[in-house]
Amino acid sequence: MNAIETENLTKRYKTKTAVSGLSLSVHEGELFSLLGVNGAGKTTTIRMLSCLSKPTDGECYICGHNCVTEQSAVKGLVGISPQDTAVAENLSVLENLRLMCGIYGYSPEKANRRIDEMTELFRMSEVANSRAKTLSGGWKRKLSIAMALISEPKVLFLDEPTLGLDVLARRELWNVVEELKSKITIVLTTHYMEEAEALSDRIAIMIDGSLAALGTLSELEAQSGESGLENTFVKIAGEFGKGA
Amino acid sequence: MNKAVAFSSRNFKEIIRDPLSYIFCLGFPLVMLAVMTLVNDGIPEEAGMTIFRIDNLAGGIAVFGLTFIMLFTCLSVAKDRSGAFLVRLYATPMTSGSFILGYVLPTSLLAVLQLITTLAASFVVSLITGIELNTLGLLLTLLSLLPTVIMLIACGLLFGTLFSEKAAPGLCSIVISLASFLGGVWFDADGVGGVLLDICNALPFYHAVKAARMASALDFDGYLPHLLITLAYAVVITAASVIVFKHKMKADLQ
Repeated sequence: MNAIETENLTKRYKTKTAVSGLSLSVHEGELFSLLGVNGAGKTTTIRMLSCLSKPTDGECYICGHNCVTEQSAVKGLVGISPQDTAVAENLSVLENLRLMCGIYGYSPEKANRRIDEMTELFRMSEVANSRAKTLSGGWKRKLSIAMALISEPKVLFLDEPTLGLDVLARRELWNVVEELKSKITIVLTTHYMEEAEALSDRIAIMIDGSLAALGTLSELEAQSGESGLENTFVKIAGEFGKGA
Repeated sequence: MNKAVAFSSRNFKEIIRDPLSYIFCLGFPLVMLAVMTLVNDGIPEEAGMTIFRIDNLAGGIAVFGLTFIMLFTCLSVAKDRSGAFLVRLYATPMTSGSFILGYVLPTSLLAVLQLITTLAASFVVSLITGIELNTLGLLLTLLSLLPTVIMLIACGLLFGTLFSEKAAPGLCSIVISLASFLGGVWFDADGVGGVLLDICNALPFYHAVKAARMASALDFDGYLPHLLITLAYAVVITAASVIVFKHKMKADLQ
C-alpha cells in the first residue's frame, strides 16, 4: 500500500485555484520532495493531506484512510512540522515534548520513553531544560520536528524545515532527516534545490497548483535534458509556464 | 479529557511564566485595594460616602481583578491563533472541546487563586481599619463570584477567537473600564440613579458587584436576582463563545 495517494486533488479559494487536479502517490518509507516557487501549492497540498484543509475536489488518502471522511484515523498517522516553528515558547524542550505525549494520551512510562528517544535522536540533552523562546532557530526547528515525530507517525510532513537556518544548522537538520529516511515516509517542501537533491528519493515539481513533473532526479534530468536539479527545475518550470 | 488536561497544563505554565500576569492579575487589584482604602481614609465621615469602605470595596475589587483574567484568557487564545502552534495541534486528535477546556481550566484556577488573594487582603484591611468583614461572608463572596468567573473567561475566549492579537487587548481594556465603571466599583450607582443606573442594571457587572457585596455583608434580601442575572449572562456568553470558537475552528480547517 502507498503511504499517500491523491486523485485529482483540487483546492479552490474564491478567486484562486491553489492546487489543481493533483494526482500522485508516495511509497512507504520514501522521502518525497515537493518543489515549487512561492504560491505553487506545496503548503496547501500538505494542509489537505494532514486534515488542516478540506479539498474542493478530488480525494486524498494516508495509508488507505480518506483525509476527509476518516480524519481521526489520518490524524493518528501523520505528524507535521509547519513552516513557522510551532512550539510553545514559554515551555522547555522537555515540556513541549511532554505536552505532545499528553495530547496523544500516552502513559507516563511511554511518554518518558518517547521523550528519551527524541532527545537522543535530535541530540537535545544540552537544551532539554531550556525554554523554547531562548533556543536558536536551528534548535527550534529540531524541537518542532521532534514534536511531530513523538507520536510515531507513519507519514511526516516537513514544510520548509530549513528556511532561514544557517548552513551549519541546515546540514545538521539534513543529518537528522537522513537518519529518519526509510524508517517513515517523509514529505518535504523546500526552496533549496541542493536540499531536495541531497535528501529525496523522488521529486515532484509544482507550478501554479499543478504537477509539472515527477520522478527521481535522474528521470527529471533526462526529461528536461539538463543536469543538476536547479537547471532541471528552471527548464521544467519555464516549459510548463509556456504550455499553460 | 487527557488532551484537555495536557493542553491546560501548557496554558497554565504559559500564563504563570509571564511576569505581566502577576502585575495585572495580582498586583494591580491589590494596589487598587490599598489606594482606595487610603482614599476612603481621607473622606470625611460626614460626607456619607462609603463606596471605598472595605465592606463595599472588597466585592468591587474582586470583580475588577477578574476582568484581568478575561484579558489573559483573550491574549492566550489570540496569540495561539496568530501563530503556527494551533496549526500543529489542529493536526492532532484534539477536538474543539479539548481546546476550549484547555483554555478554561487554567484560567478558572487562576481566577479562584486571585479571588482568594484579593479577599484575604480585604480581610487584612478590615482588621487594620476596624471595619468588620466576616470570614463566612468572604467565603460566600467567592462562591457568588463563580458565575462571574465563568462569564469573564467566556468573554476572553470570545474576544480572543474573534479578534487579532493586536486588536484583542485594546477591546479588553475597554471592557475592563466599562465593567469597573458600570459595575459601580468606583461610584455609587444606586445613589446616582437615572439612566446611568438603568444602563448598569442592563449589564452583568453591576449585578456581579452587588451579589458580591451582599454576600460579604450576609445580606440576602434581594440577593438572588443579582446572582441569577449574572448566571444568565454567564450561560449566554459561554454558549456564544463555544459556538464561535467551534465555528472559527471549522472555518480554519476549510
